[in-house]
Amino acid sequence: MFRNLSNWCFGALFVMFFAGTFTTNAQGDALFKAKCASCHQPHKNSTGPKLFQVRTKWADGGAAEGSIYQWVNNWQTAAANDPYAQTVSTWSPTAMSAFPELKKEEIDAIFDWVDSQPEPGSEGDTAGAGAATATDAVEEESSMGWIWIILGIIFVTIILAVGGVRRQLHIAASEAAGEEVQEGLTYGEELKQWAWKNRKYVGIGSLVVVICVIVTLFLGLYTIGVVENYQPSQPIAFPHDIHAGVNGIDCKYCHNSVTKSKSAGLPTVNVCMNCHKQINGRTPAQQEQIAKIYDAAGWNPEGAGKYTGKTSPIVWNKVHVLPDHVYFNHSQHVVVGGVDCKQCHGDMTKMKETAKVQPVSELNKIEGNIPLTKPTLTMGWCIECHGEKEISTGSIDTKNDGYYNEIHKRLLNNDKSLYGKYLKDGKVTVSELGGWECAKCHY
Amino acid sequence: MTRKYWKGLDELKETPEFLKSRDQEFLSEMSVEEFLGDENLKETSTARRDFLKFLGFSVAAATVAACEAPVTKAIPYVNKPEDVLPGMPTWYASTFYDGVSYASILVKTREGRPIYIKGNKDYGFTSGGVNPQIIASVLGLYDSARLTGPMAKGDESSWSKVDDAIKGAMKSANKVTLVSNTVISPSMQMAIAELAASVGAAEGNDKFEHIQYDAVSYAGIRQANEASFGAAVIPDYHFENAKTIVSVGADFLSSWLLSTEYATAYGTRRNPDGEWMSKHFQFESMMSVSGSNADYRGMVKPSEEANVLSYILKGLGVSTNVPNALSKEVAAIADEAIKALKAHKGESIVISGSNNKSVQILVNKINSVLGNYGKTMDLKNSVNMFKSEDDKMNKFVDAVIGGKASDVVIFMGTNPVYTHPKGKALGEAITKIKTSVAISTHADETASRCSFICPDNHALESWTDHNPKMNHYAVGQPTIRPLFNTSSSLESMLVWANKADRSGKDSKVAYDYIKKTWETYGFPSQTKYADFHTYWNMAVHNSCVEMDMPVVEDAAPMTFNEAALSGASSGLPKGGALEVIMYQKSAIGTGLYTANPWLQEMPDPLTKVTWDNYITMNPSEMKEMGFATTFDQENGLNMASVKVGSTEVTLPVYPLPGQAPKTVGIALGYGRGANGENIGKAAFQTKEYGGNVQLENGNPAPIGANVYPFVSVENGTFSYSAVGGLTPVDGVYPIAATQIHHTVMGRHSIVRETTLDIYSKGEKEAYNPAHMLLKLDAEGNHVPTPVGEFDLWDAHPVENIGHRWGMTIDLSSCIGCGNCLIACQSENNVPVVGKDEVRRGREMHWLRIDRYFASDDETAVGTRNENFAFDTAEVAAVNPKVVHMPMMCHHCNHAPCETVCPVAATTHSNEGLNQMAYNRCIGTRYCANNCPYKVRRFNWFNYPSYKKFTEINPAQDDLGRMVLNPDVTVRTRGVMEKCSFCVQRIQAGKLTAKKEGRPVVDGDFASACADACPTNAITVGDWNDLTSMIRKSADDSRSYQALEEVGVKPNVWFKVKVRNEHNAELAKIQTVAHHGGHGEEKETESHH
Repeated sequence: MFRNLSNWCFGALFVMFFAGTFTTNAQGDALFKAKCASCHQPHKNSTGPKLFQVRTKWADGGAAEGSIYQWVNNWQTAAANDPYAQTVSTWSPTAMSAFPELKKEEIDAIFDWVDSQPEPGSEGDTAGAGAATATDAVEEESSMGWIWIILGIIFVTIILAVGGVRRQLHIAASEAAGEEVQEGLTYGEELKQWAWKNRKYVGIGSLVVVICVIVTLFLGLYTIGVVENYQPSQPIAFPHDIHAGVNGIDCKYCHNSVTKSKSAGLPTVNVCMNCHKQINGRTPAQQEQIAKIYDAAGWNPEGAGKYTGKTSPIVWNKVHVLPDHVYFNHSQHVVVGGVDCKQCHGDMTKMKETAKVQPVSELNKIEGNIPLTKPTLTMGWCIECHGEKEISTGSIDTKNDGYYNEIHKRLLNNDKSLYGKYLKDGKVTVSELGGWECAKCHY
Repeated sequence: MTRKYWKGLDELKETPEFLKSRDQEFLSEMSVEEFLGDENLKETSTARRDFLKFLGFSVAAATVAACEAPVTKAIPYVNKPEDVLPGMPTWYASTFYDGVSYASILVKTREGRPIYIKGNKDYGFTSGGVNPQIIASVLGLYDSARLTGPMAKGDESSWSKVDDAIKGAMKSANKVTLVSNTVISPSMQMAIAELAASVGAAEGNDKFEHIQYDAVSYAGIRQANEASFGAAVIPDYHFENAKTIVSVGADFLSSWLLSTEYATAYGTRRNPDGEWMSKHFQFESMMSVSGSNADYRGMVKPSEEANVLSYILKGLGVSTNVPNALSKEVAAIADEAIKALKAHKGESIVISGSNNKSVQILVNKINSVLGNYGKTMDLKNSVNMFKSEDDKMNKFVDAVIGGKASDVVIFMGTNPVYTHPKGKALGEAITKIKTSVAISTHADETASRCSFICPDNHALESWTDHNPKMNHYAVGQPTIRPLFNTSSSLESMLVWANKADRSGKDSKVAYDYIKKTWETYGFPSQTKYADFHTYWNMAVHNSCVEMDMPVVEDAAPMTFNEAALSGASSGLPKGGALEVIMYQKSAIGTGLYTANPWLQEMPDPLTKVTWDNYITMNPSEMKEMGFATTFDQENGLNMASVKVGSTEVTLPVYPLPGQAPKTVGIALGYGRGANGENIGKAAFQTKEYGGNVQLENGNPAPIGANVYPFVSVENGTFSYSAVGGLTPVDGVYPIAATQIHHTVMGRHSIVRETTLDIYSKGEKEAYNPAHMLLKLDAEGNHVPTPVGEFDLWDAHPVENIGHRWGMTIDLSSCIGCGNCLIACQSENNVPVVGKDEVRRGREMHWLRIDRYFASDDETAVGTRNENFAFDTAEVAAVNPKVVHMPMMCHHCNHAPCETVCPVAATTHSNEGLNQMAYNRCIGTRYCANNCPYKVRRFNWFNYPSYKKFTEINPAQDDLGRMVLNPDVTVRTRGVMEKCSFCVQRIQAGKLTAKKEGRPVVDGDFASACADACPTNAITVGDWNDLTSMIRKSADDSRSYQALEEVGVKPNVWFKVKVRNEHNAELAKIQTVAHHGGHGEEKETESHH
């Protein structure tokens, strides 16, 4: 709980922070990401030098006016014309690429955006506060539970006390009225008496209660194994929204066996290191998380950075767990069926935390998804989609000699009436070609 | 006509047990009163109310527990190996050699674990041929009885200590002796030479001696060839070129020499639709796999084998002084053989399974007269395997027993204490050796007595190279990092020769050394590849390379030396009143895999017995001697003891038709671990509720008895037949066989066979008549109509639309080897259930191979002769014909199992598959009752966890579980299971096609059984694809469906077995049936 909440706050602040800068420096931001971000960072030397207030730096260094724009367009020309540019060109390990297509205004926009970036750990950074807020929130929430319990106890005590008083009053009233007082009666016997008196209503009431209990019990039993909203804690607070959303990294870059294998594959640490060798986080909270990748990869980021060889795999908690007797193949759905990841996993570009089993109500909100009713990751959910998904000619494989073309051809040539039955609703669905059969998923 | 049918021999004979059981509908061992009256029961304190409380609590607890799903971990690689894709198999080409079997193989790994082995059909001379032992060897990798580290004097030690001690001992040794199985690895041979040099061996001194010793020796062939042709070689046999094959006691399809190659080559010529079909004669003492496939089979005693060869020689015009007297029956078959051999000079092969030099010289003479050398047999491209030096080994054993052995003796890949006739004495004397070293995977009979054990890697963990034939070199690559602290034998040799350092689990010592060998010798001898890197990559990828044979300028022409023949009459095997044959079973072999539960549970191809060793005897002889010839769940077999020399073994006597009179057969490879050696729990007898049966001394009781001590030395070579005596012993022994009936009782709707003559006439009605029933037509006449037109159900929409997965099994090609069964077990996680369960008919094999013997009342299996009578048809003939018939779920389109399932757990797919949803199954077993093929299997127990199966089920330990195929569910107790047609492979094959955007074609899908079949008898594919092999095969005139008259419309077809023989009586029947219109069978059907 703690982890999820803190992630949430952290992520929310992060997004707000980005959103703020985006509106003012949209062009610079976009250009920086498109052209520069693979080598440069605002506040840190990486493959290229840091770019924060680089114009001032050049001016202070005695560079000629406009020389920096020439440099960006083609560094060799600049180095030939300007001695300061000449010294910059000795930067190792690599020489800069040429960007002749960038206009002066665009370059300025980039620099403006870079200069507007706050330094990590500076006052502008709110991650520390975010973390504190998160802790408070957690404490508050957990204490909420206790308050209810205490309140409950108080109420029960009050009810009992009032009941006792009422009983005494009742006895007293009876005595006063001169009625026979059945002193020896316990609460239970009293209740029995009362129930017998009102047996018609009590009978009907009990029946209703029993039926309600049974119905509730069965409804409860039906939810066993339904894991909507399942969201285990994770060793690393991985924000999907930043990777897939803000940075627009394709799902297949990290989950790269999704088109080849039955399992989509978690990114192996070496895949993380492709980017994180450079990106070690702007805020302490980020750095803390990214440091875990370094631990796993055995990467020592000090100085130029080097691999120590001491690796330890990251132990994630699996989110989408299918039972052992279910065979599910990602490549079948993604490559052959052309199903978008969103259909089952929701919009990960907006997922601030690592991952959770998205409830079907959330999935249905996403544009382009086939709307379904059964809970996510249940068999009903699977076959509901199999009953909807179309695999008519051309809807999946468009090649002339494609697999499904042959299947359609066989139907058309040999059993037109069956084919006609299938096409009554205007499409051939997965289930009509056997997608509801047991041995498609269970063997 | 009145007929009486019996349910079994018991009923026919009206035995007292039968009469008793007949009157009781429900067998009950104990009445309810007895059960409740049991005093012990009263002592138990669970009252009914308590029981209900417990029940309620456990239901509630289970419900609550089920609410919380356990957290599953997902651990990605830190640095993913390039060729590993989680969820997808990776295949490696490798080579299998264990000293007995050789094959080019493909190993399937999942997430780094080897889980399945199949033959490599693209590369190597074995052409995809493997045997059950090779397929099952993958289970041996995960054997928890394997040694996990070096041992010194029975205690765990470290490599450095052991190496130092061994090196020190060798330095001061007077002589170092290395005893190994035949070494065919060029690199290992070089390493051994390095070791010899390091101990100071040189010309003129005998500081080092290397003895090659095989458990089963073929030294006689080498010696005979040396005498006949001047070269001590084993020729290369080309069975694919042999139109006539005469085998005298050689089981070349299952155990003899390179049987993996021969079975595949033989299979290519057993198809009657091919260019020609070979004619196979077998003269043998006990019914072997080869004999069961022979077109003609003669029964001879081992001592008469020379007579057969001499008789054939005489027929070919060569007279010898070897006696040639034969019985009338055998002589008639030998005459046929002579006729066939004469017709195919240069296109025939004559072989003998004897290890006797004189017998083999006779064989050489026959082949020489026929001009087979250079055509079907090649002396130049000779086989490098089986170089057993029997003479040298015997001298060595005598020296050890006499206390005169060298100071250091190294045993590598060999277990003479178990396999040598004098093994027991050797075992006791090993401790007298100053320093004895064993390179072994287990602390077996030999290793456990040695001062040092240096554990060898499993074959799937090591780099190896091989030179099985003169022109053939192969590489074996590891498919997994060593699981334990073991080291390849090559590395051990090099370390002791001071040529390398011990390098632990990630050692590259063996790899570097082999690569260097190939770079120095292999690469320069070819011209195709310009750089070594490409050459080496090709060699590893293909697993083997063919070399050009070096052309020797003035090589002597290999002509037969007549002097050899004149001496052949001396030294022939001597006969006796009872001759005992020591043979290898296709599953157990020489005893290397005794502890492999898959192989122990594999029914023997002929006897169908599992988990046991027995004496085979002809049932007709057994009757004379008063032995029981029938057995079942309750009634076992009688015991007898066989004595050869001073050794005696007591085993049950099994009635095996086709066993030559006055002979008995006993399999080698049993009785292992007799002194409690830890070779694996499955090698020992198990008790009814788990645990091994204990001997009096507390050691576990081994399965069967070791008959290697019966092996004698004749003229310097081991002889695998002996003269002995048999005495009945009191007692009945329970036998677990998967098939206890012998014949098919003339039911031609199950098995159909014909002869090549009849088949080639092309009249389908003669050999494969359509099954007709009578139907009323509009005029009220009875019209014969094919059975397919009668239907109770609506047709399933599977024909011609979508896919329809089908299978054909060619009974002509099927040799009954059992590869399919083991491959299926490996692919589909089929549980091992043990002897007691098999005995109760609860074996779990999804695929079984039915073996049918012909009776005297049948002219061929599944036919009836004129005097057919059911009361005698149940008894197999003395020397019967045999049919092997693989039987698995037929995926009936009108499946009777589906209609009776109350919970729709088994349903039909629109691709023709009979699906089984385990999670739905509630275990009523109605489906199994309703299955006409009896192929459904019920999980009576939770085999992977119940204590009864601890010893035998590999899934019961963490290591053994690693062999499980992750794509197939492990079934739990109480559910039904059966052949799925390898639906996981169908789905994978379809997916490949879908991803590539093309229709499914042949080759996208092969079931495990089809994959493993060495003779390509099994064809699978999409029947709806008009161009597919399966469609052509199913539409063939030889195709029929078993029990077609039941009307279940199966998706499995069998193809009529065609024998290349003359069978006048069968010809008469099959021609009469055809031309005479209505035979007996049709008359019978009209009563329906």
